[in-house]
Amino acid sequence: MTEAAMEIGGVNRNDRFTRGSRLVDVLSKAGLAFAILAVMLYGSFVSPAFFTSGNLLNVLTSMSIVGIVVVGMTFVLVVGGLADLSVPATIACGAILSLGLQPMIGPLPAFVLAVGLAGLIGLLNGVLVGYVGINPIIATLGIGTIGLGIVQAAVGGVIVYGSNPASAEFAKGRLFGIPVVVLIFLVIALVGHFVLSRSFWGRWTLATGGNYSAAEASAVPVQAVKAGAFVITALASGISGGLLGLTLQSARPLIGGGYEFSAITAVVVGGVSIVGGFGSVPRAIAGLIFVQLLTNVMVLDGVRTPIQGFVLGILIVGAVGMDAALRKRGVS
Amino acid sequence: MTVAADCALDMRGISKTFPGVKALSNVNFAVKFGTVHAVVGENGAGKSTLMKVLNGSYAPTSGTIRVGGAEVRMRRPADAQALGIRMVHQEINLVPDLSVAENVYLGRMPGKWTFLRKGEMIRAAAAVLDELGAAINPRERLGNLSISQQQLVEIAKAYAAQPRIIVLDEPTSSLSEHETAALFRILRKMRDDGIAIIYISHRLKEVLEIADEVTVLRDGSMIETRPIEGINAAQMIRLMVGREVSNVFPKSPAEIGKSVLRVERISDGTRFRNVSFDVRAGEILGLTGLVGAGRTEVARAIFGLSRLVEGSVSVNGREVSINSPSQAVRAGIAYVPEDRKGDGVVPGMSIRENISLPILRRLSRFGRISRSADHSLAADSVKQFSISPPDGERRISLLSGGNQQKAVIAKWLAAKPSALILDEPTRGVDVGAKAEIHHIIGQLVAGGMAVVMISSELPEILGVCDRVVVMRDGYASEPLLRSELSEERIMALATGEETA
Repeated sequence: MTEAAMEIGGVNRNDRFTRGSRLVDVLSKAGLAFAILAVMLYGSFVSPAFFTSGNLLNVLTSMSIVGIVVVGMTFVLVVGGLADLSVPATIACGAILSLGLQPMIGPLPAFVLAVGLAGLIGLLNGVLVGYVGINPIIATLGIGTIGLGIVQAAVGGVIVYGSNPASAEFAKGRLFGIPVVVLIFLVIALVGHFVLSRSFWGRWTLATGGNYSAAEASAVPVQAVKAGAFVITALASGISGGLLGLTLQSARPLIGGGYEFSAITAVVVGGVSIVGGFGSVPRAIAGLIFVQLLTNVMVLDGVRTPIQGFVLGILIVGAVGMDAALRKRGVS
Repeated sequence: MTVAADCALDMRGISKTFPGVKALSNVNFAVKFGTVHAVVGENGAGKSTLMKVLNGSYAPTSGTIRVGGAEVRMRRPADAQALGIRMVHQEINLVPDLSVAENVYLGRMPGKWTFLRKGEMIRAAAAVLDELGAAINPRERLGNLSISQQQLVEIAKAYAAQPRIIVLDEPTSSLSEHETAALFRILRKMRDDGIAIIYISHRLKEVLEIADEVTVLRDGSMIETRPIEGINAAQMIRLMVGREVSNVFPKSPAEIGKSVLRVERISDGTRFRNVSFDVRAGEILGLTGLVGAGRTEVARAIFGLSRLVEGSVSVNGREVSINSPSQAVRAGIAYVPEDRKGDGVVPGMSIRENISLPILRRLSRFGRISRSADHSLAADSVKQFSISPPDGERRISLLSGGNQQKAVIAKWLAAKPSALILDEPTRGVDVGAKAEIHHIIGQLVAGGMAVVMISSELPEILGVCDRVVVMRDGYASEPLLRSELSEERIMALATGEETA
């Protein structure tokens, strides 16, 4: 009877957003929209350059490159995989190979092969995390370092330049006035959103992150689902890296540094739970928009770089703290 | 009854209520210094809850506790320790990578602020172990000791704190007969030192051997405290199970068909061995025994949540190889787990999302979940099992235990299994929901399903099941017909008073 009583006594752990006060409820749902509006308002006050189409397109383009990674990273957090720290390696893999292989096999096959190899790194991450059970931080850090090492060795540690102007034109071009990179990001975000919210794989991902053993006992292939999140992230960062390489027409091995941090920041600020089981692609993208706009406004406002880092750091700690507080609210 | 000077512990009118459940009801429990006082009762009788009240883990809803004559109020285990109350738990709570001495003095290491006085600690530990007659080197790494030696270290740790009251919870469950005898010597020594010893055990033979007094708990109430001279094992069993026959769960008669699920000589290598039984269409087979006898482990292994090292499982006459739950589902086996919170529900998801989880792929086309199939499955289940509130979009964690359980059963019936294993399906649900769940099980077998029901509740087992398998220490009895059984006989089989 004791255990039974404990079961009843224990309260719904994952029950965020239902037990809090109304203010918490509203803030957690629409808080980001308010924050984005506030940043835009502030931006238009401090800098006349903010609301120009040039600036906004710039923000949008750079946001798109990170955004593709964010879509993948959302899966990793939702499935309860903490974070994928091999992103710099998979981005470098995508960028360097999609440029470096151009002379040998042509731009499109180079791009596809680059993304495929990035996916392979993700598969290794996934096997280690999902099947072997290694802590994701350690596994992705280790595999990322190895992957980056191999890529660096393959190109001799130098900068690789593009050799196919047509592909550069395409990546930097526009379709219906919208940069191609932005369109690709939107397509990937839509696909990611569909998979996470409408497909059985997405439901499995949420269930695995929400309660691993219950998902396992419900015949969900939890190991594969967990591994899959890392493959998805690696493919996304491969694409992201490829596009980055094509846009810049040059790629050095450390090209992807910092992207893992930006992506994790965006997902966490978007309110996706760091312990899994809760979150969506649109939420993560809202987080991304907020962080990118904030950074942009700070740059325009002349805020010095160390202060920018300071602000972003506070933001990520604040978001994680909020996540923890909301979960605690669910408990007590 | 007045508080005698030799009264180490006097708990009066202790009640403990959890939301929805009364775990302890007005329990009086007194222990004298220099005695061994046994506490016996079925699973769920309230023994653990009472001990958790005693060691400060739970605050009682009402009642008073006196230790050595003075009334005390304990808010946390540290308070109980400060009063000289020590618990030795059934499972070992030690640090394998530390030495024996370090474990004995864990949390109370000699030395102020900075450096441990290691030599002093080792000498002190050696003295304690010696006093207890335990031949263990205090410098040895704990993890290198056998389980029974670790158990002794656990007792030495409690003893070294010079307690007034020691609680031992099933201390012999991992000990051989020889080691048990050694433990009893130690207990007698501690008793002669004037320590009050509370001894919780299912093994009535041992209780008769070591205890001076015995208290029987049943359904959260204190039934009786008696000197050990005035009682025998049969009388104890009768006191433990003898309840009013108010909750009987008659099974509606169903036509029993051919064998659906058959397991033959299955073992997992550690927790259970050589278990065989079969269950036929329209039949409910009960699987009972004490907690830890291996019932749940058998069910989890059949369902592919853990591995079998030996034996075979067949469904509808065909041998199947099951390495994962999805293979079990394909073979036609479903499992409603014991730990509803841990293994049954995904709390952040709605009733609908929980119910369709095992069969999502069947509901999907090109990867996309069919919205209408998903919603209508949930709506049908909610209606069929009268899940309340009748709203499939409701977050499942907001439901009562009984309704969550109905949703978990609904989830598995959606997979259309031919055999269903239910692990403690009515634990922690209120009486009304319990009757409903029994009714649902009755309908299922009437429809030709084969059901295995694991339960610790003997009236439930005897009321619902056609045949019963009793497990003890990983071994299973032959299936016994309901007509051959009584609560006393099951208890005797489960405790080893009678061997099958």
